[in-house]
Amino acid sequence: MEKVIHANTFRMKCVKLANKIKGLRKSMRISGRTRRNWFYAYAFLMPWLIGVFLLLIYPLYTSFSFSRSQVRFPPTGLVQFPVGWENYTNIFALDTVFMTGLVSFTLQLIPQMAIIVSFALIISMLLNGRIKARGLFRAVFFLPVIIATGPVMSELINEGVATVPAVNLSAIANAMDFLPPMVLEPIVGLFTQLIMILWNSGVQILIFLAALQKINPEQYEAAKMDGASGWECFWKITSPALRPMLFLNVIYTVVWLANSDQNPIINMLHIRMIAGVLGPGGMPGGYGHASAMAWVYSIVVLLIIGLCWVVLHERKDKDKPETKRLEQKSYLPKRREIVRKLRKSDMEGIGVDKR
Amino acid sequence: MNRTNPKRFSKDQIPLYLYLIPLAVFMAAPIVFIVFHAFKPMDELFAHPPRFLVSRPTLDNFTNLFRMAAGATVPLSRYVFNSVVVTFTAVMGTVMFSSMAAFALSKMRWKYAGVLFTINNLALMFVPTAVTIPRYMTITGIGIDNTYFAHILPLMATPVVLFLVKQNMDNQVPNELIEAAHVDGATPWGIYRGVVLPMIRPAIATGAILSFQLVWNNLETSQLFTTSESVRTLAFYMSTLAATGGIAGQGMAAAAGLFMFVPNLLLFIVMQSRVMNTMAHSGLK
Repeated sequence: MEKVIHANTFRMKCVKLANKIKGLRKSMRISGRTRRNWFYAYAFLMPWLIGVFLLLIYPLYTSFSFSRSQVRFPPTGLVQFPVGWENYTNIFALDTVFMTGLVSFTLQLIPQMAIIVSFALIISMLLNGRIKARGLFRAVFFLPVIIATGPVMSELINEGVATVPAVNLSAIANAMDFLPPMVLEPIVGLFTQLIMILWNSGVQILIFLAALQKINPEQYEAAKMDGASGWECFWKITSPALRPMLFLNVIYTVVWLANSDQNPIINMLHIRMIAGVLGPGGMPGGYGHASAMAWVYSIVVLLIIGLCWVVLHERKDKDKPETKRLEQKSYLPKRREIVRKLRKSDMEGIGVDKR
Repeated sequence: MNRTNPKRFSKDQIPLYLYLIPLAVFMAAPIVFIVFHAFKPMDELFAHPPRFLVSRPTLDNFTNLFRMAAGATVPLSRYVFNSVVVTFTAVMGTVMFSSMAAFALSKMRWKYAGVLFTINNLALMFVPTAVTIPRYMTITGIGIDNTYFAHILPLMATPVVLFLVKQNMDNQVPNELIEAAHVDGATPWGIYRGVVLPMIRPAIATGAILSFQLVWNNLETSQLFTTSESVRTLAFYMSTLAATGGIAGQGMAAAAGLFMFVPNLLLFIVMQSRVMNTMAHSGLK
């Protein structure tokens, strides 16, 4: 390494020392702050963490251990016999009802989700338009959410209010009978649940609306001035703004549908849970088996969400500089990063050639 | 309310209305049904096919309901009180703890943030039914069965709200703003309270509505985690009516349904204007 010789070496040395001290002090202060940041992060999280571990993680763990054993309820408490993976093999080998239910559920869930999300998208764009009584319309479209759960909804379904009498199901089935029954059944099922699907879209509309409101109207004006059509405006302005919300909505919808009270799989779980070792229809039952069913079901839902993620996730911009990405991620940069930066500026400040 | 709302009706709005009005009628149908159902006399309640509108409205269902409640061992006011306390605490707790946790997960850099959020998301996917018995074991284990906490604590662990709030915070709150507050010497709590909370009010309101309806309509905690009538909630009491009241029970259940629905509606109306206001007026454009 070649040594660079300066005219005033002593002065340079002084500046260098001063800078070093300054940098040291700065890095010390920052390290203190980072430690506090840790502390604060945990302070903010603590109540939630305790709740989650006590009432979510621990029960999940217990349920997993149930799923690998046979559970019986003698008059005094609960007895567990470990049976290994037998419950799981039973699901795949014996429990034909559950497996067919699971397949048809999956086939229905995806189109349902697509319909809900696209319906929410259309409605939110309509509601974002310039119309009178916008607040009233928004309220009406969100309202079903507050009754979509709970006993009221199941009563409505029992009463037959949730189906569309105008839609002739057999006609639809006849018109599309070239499709194999495996595909046809979910489609027909979709029509019977059309209103239910629309009623489930309130939260999604709200989420989309929030994103739409953030778009600057001047952006549209500018685009119009430059001769963009409505369609182009949608693809170039609206859709990039909605994209993160789209993914959020898809996940929310899948989870909502998968855990709703009207879900046939959930109801089946309920029935099997309280049934004996031999459930209705000669299918296996009991708490252990039901737990295993729940795990299999959750994994299927997880796979569906994974699929949605693969399709919809945003690719990270690779060309952004490292520091830029760091800043975007957090307001407290890593200590090491700061120190490195300081050292760099140190060197530049005194004009030392850093080869 | 909204600056962009036109003052007068103009012709180019007609297509929008053509789409919106029929759909709005569709969406409002269940509410109309609930309201009318409660005022139906016996023969209309059991009519087949069910009718939406009531032709001879009556208050019989409500008088039956109150007569029944007056004869019960635990007064109705007790159930109402329980429900109000439980719901208020649980909703407040959910919103506060979820937003705090979301702040830590979204805007602070520390080691296990990603792992914890993934755990939360996985929990989101899991069927709540499957953890019923383990939850029961936990609750009796820490000795809070037959107290209000048995209602509040299980329902406060709602991953959906945290998920919504966190995602919203990622998208709506710019890091530069927090950085600026930090440079100006705000403490983390100050940033959370003064900068982040006001900006995610729409998400908070949505979370509060979701959490409210979850808690208010919940039967499970009353059925599973309590044995004493005096700590059970209104939703539970209302659900028993249909079972115990015989044929008149159906009418009482319809009246009770309306009864349970009204607070939902009120809260929604209050929250809704707030949600829309913050979204329309936030200086984030």
